[in-house]
Amino acid sequence: MPCKTGLNAPLGRRENLETIIKVENLRKVYKIGTEKVIALGCVNLEIHKGEICCILGTSGSGKSTLLNMLAGLEKPTKGHIYIGKHDIPKLNEKQLAKLRQKQIGVVFQSYNLLPALTAQENVGLPLMFRGVSKAKRNKAAKEMLVHVGLGKRMKHKPTQMSGGQQQRVGIARAFVCKPQIVFADEPTGNLDTKTTKEVMDIMVGICRQYQMTLVLVTHDPSIAQYADRIVTLIDGAIVSDVENQSIAEPVYQEGAKAPAEGEQPAGEAQREAVDSAEQESKPEENQNPDTEHNGGVEE
Amino acid sequence: MKISDQIIMCLQNLFRRKVRTALTVFGVIIGTCAIVVMVSLGVGMQASQDAMLAEMGDLTMITINNYSGRKENGDKLILDDAALHQIQQMKHVDVVTPFYEPNTWRAFTLYGGNGKRYKSELYTVVGVYPEALEKMGFKLNKGAFLSENQGDTIEILGGYYFPYDFQDTRKKRNNTVYYWNTKEDGSMPDPFIDIMKENKLVLQINNAKENGKTIDMKVKGVGILEYDSQNYQTGYGIFVSVKQLKALEEKYNKLNNIKASEDEKSNYTTAKVKVTDMKYVEEVQAAIDEMGYDTYSMENIRKPMQEQARKQQMTLGGLGAISLFVAALSITNTMVMSIYERTREIGVMKVLGCMVGNIRSVFLMEAGVIGFMGGVIGIIFSYIISYIINLVGNGLTGGFSGGMSMGGGVYMDMGMGMGGGMAQTSIIPWWLALGALVFATLIGLISGYSPANRAVKISALEAIKNE
Ligand SMILES: Nc1ncnc2c1ncn2[C@@H]1O[C@H](COP(=O)(O)OP(=O)(O)OP(=O)(O)O)[C@@H](O)[C@H]1O
Ligand SMILES: [Mg+2]
Repeated sequence: MPCKTGLNAPLGRRENLETIIKVENLRKVYKIGTEKVIALGCVNLEIHKGEICCILGTSGSGKSTLLNMLAGLEKPTKGHIYIGKHDIPKLNEKQLAKLRQKQIGVVFQSYNLLPALTAQENVGLPLMFRGVSKAKRNKAAKEMLVHVGLGKRMKHKPTQMSGGQQQRVGIARAFVCKPQIVFADEPTGNLDTKTTKEVMDIMVGICRQYQMTLVLVTHDPSIAQYADRIVTLIDGAIVSDVENQSIAEPVYQEGAKAPAEGEQPAGEAQREAVDSAEQESKPEENQNPDTEHNGGVEE
Repeated sequence: MKISDQIIMCLQNLFRRKVRTALTVFGVIIGTCAIVVMVSLGVGMQASQDAMLAEMGDLTMITINNYSGRKENGDKLILDDAALHQIQQMKHVDVVTPFYEPNTWRAFTLYGGNGKRYKSELYTVVGVYPEALEKMGFKLNKGAFLSENQGDTIEILGGYYFPYDFQDTRKKRNNTVYYWNTKEDGSMPDPFIDIMKENKLVLQINNAKENGKTIDMKVKGVGILEYDSQNYQTGYGIFVSVKQLKALEEKYNKLNNIKASEDEKSNYTTAKVKVTDMKYVEEVQAAIDEMGYDTYSMENIRKPMQEQARKQQMTLGGLGAISLFVAALSITNTMVMSIYERTREIGVMKVLGCMVGNIRSVFLMEAGVIGFMGGVIGIIFSYIISYIINLVGNGLTGGFSGGMSMGGGVYMDMGMGMGGGMAQTSIIPWWLALGALVFATLIGLISGYSPANRAVKISALEAIKNE
């Protein structure tokens, strides 16, 4: 008995794609005393292999809740989340750990590097947990750090690096195992506009290179422009699910509340952001940038 | 996650919080020291008790008495070669010998010199298995032990002072050489005869009737024993083969028309058993008791003393254990604190795919390492403390004894001081050191157990939350 959602009709392009994450009737209710907070009403969603999927929404719309459950960090009240054959909520700690080792990378908003370890050691951590020898993981970590442009910062501790650099280490760490899926909750939430762009470019670039699936949570429509697909949440429900190029009209017609003002600029900003990030992979999407304008929309 | 990585991670974590780790380790050091030093005092006490007992008698020796020839219930009981053989076969028995000491005074007399000039009354003659003495731990001063197969000549092994037992029968005065009348150079005076060189030694079997017929047996002195305060016989006594002694008795009985029963002939009245180790004495003694004999060993004194010492040790160890218990609490506290601080880190580790078991073992290891380090350093300190206690303690005993002996003066004081140097107030045997180390490590692991499980339960969500 699937619940009713505000989901649009599936997009034609999706039918050919392999589903990697499937969410069915997902519901999350927090109980605080006698009061119930419905963080997610009923969510149905399919994310495809190699897709960069953005979950967009205002504060409190349930984005993080959704992402946490996708990544197996939190159990839903009801519903299923399939990654491959696994129903995530049913896995025990050990199975989850195995799954994370093999398939999942996570980028945090607040970087969450271990302060005692150098950049290289931090990046090597997921490999260490998998039992990879020190020599091998140092090599892999080095490659990854060079990839994110931190080749010269390998021996630096997190406190000796800027936020942008730390987040790049965080990205290197999430990608070092070459996971199939990377989850990122507001990865640029603590960064300025310029650094945001750098970080997003790197992250999206690596995803494209290895055909990884990226699930990106943000409240910022300009960041959403890096995605192939934008899923908009309002009050714990999906109100729009569109391919990026066609985002402008459907999103703001349906999801009335969130981007109340400045619809038009928002759309334009999105197009422009994609431009810089994905020149090679999506050359067809070249448009004109107007980032600053866009950044103000949401708040 | 590799074990080596777990160890490195655990050490890094400990090293990151040097001061706190050091303080916690310090607690364990104190606890370990307390236990080790306390128990070492107990061990020292027991050792000095044992030393005292050893002075009183050989701790591995059991003496069997069978004077009555009857069991308690009245049954006949003989201590003969067969019985001794049976005892010899027992487990942990090193050597068995009769220690047959009949009343020989007036029955036998030993003469030496021309025309039986020098005479010994032979108050103490002990019959033993010739081969047993050496194994029993008797020490030779010179010569050799009794040979195993003897002919008609009676072989005697003299006690250390036995040569001074001879009297010159031709003199009324000065007819005795006293061993304490040392020569000018401090050596002992020469006795009338040297029993090892004397070839005119004869043992005369006396006749109770005046001017009755006597029998002379040829005697050969084979050696002289060292004096051993635990066996007075090694003083003025002589040792002979028990077989020859029995034969001499028989001759005496015949000569004096005394009829002895077969039982009396074969019964040895007293025998000694040497056990391979002190710890088996109780067992062997019980087995011999079971046969119906009266037995006696130092164990009879040692056991109650030991029990008391053990009680004291337990009390002392218990006092030490209290401080280690406090140390355990502080380990738990440290671990809880450090897990609290590292909540986010643990969450991150989980999100990055760290197995729950690995997290647990890293934390357990941290606690274990704290215990282990505290144990190692604590043991080193304990050895130092123990050394100091022994230094100071011996000084005190020396002074104390010196004071007690009042007029004893310098000589006494020195003597006591030197004697005191041997006895240690505090002894740390290897098992105590090892046990303390294992115990401290275990304490660490136990104290770390519940915090480690707490760490494991921390949700991965913690990593996501922004502070
Ligand atoms: N642990 C919790 N206990 C109770 N309520 C919660 C909890 N976590 C989230 N919520 C509620 O669930 C709803 C969704 O929260 P969520 O964190 O998913 O929002 P979000 O979209 O990520 O917002 P933001 O952009 O501010 O991070 C909110 O109303 C929030 O109050
Ligand atoms: Mg959020």
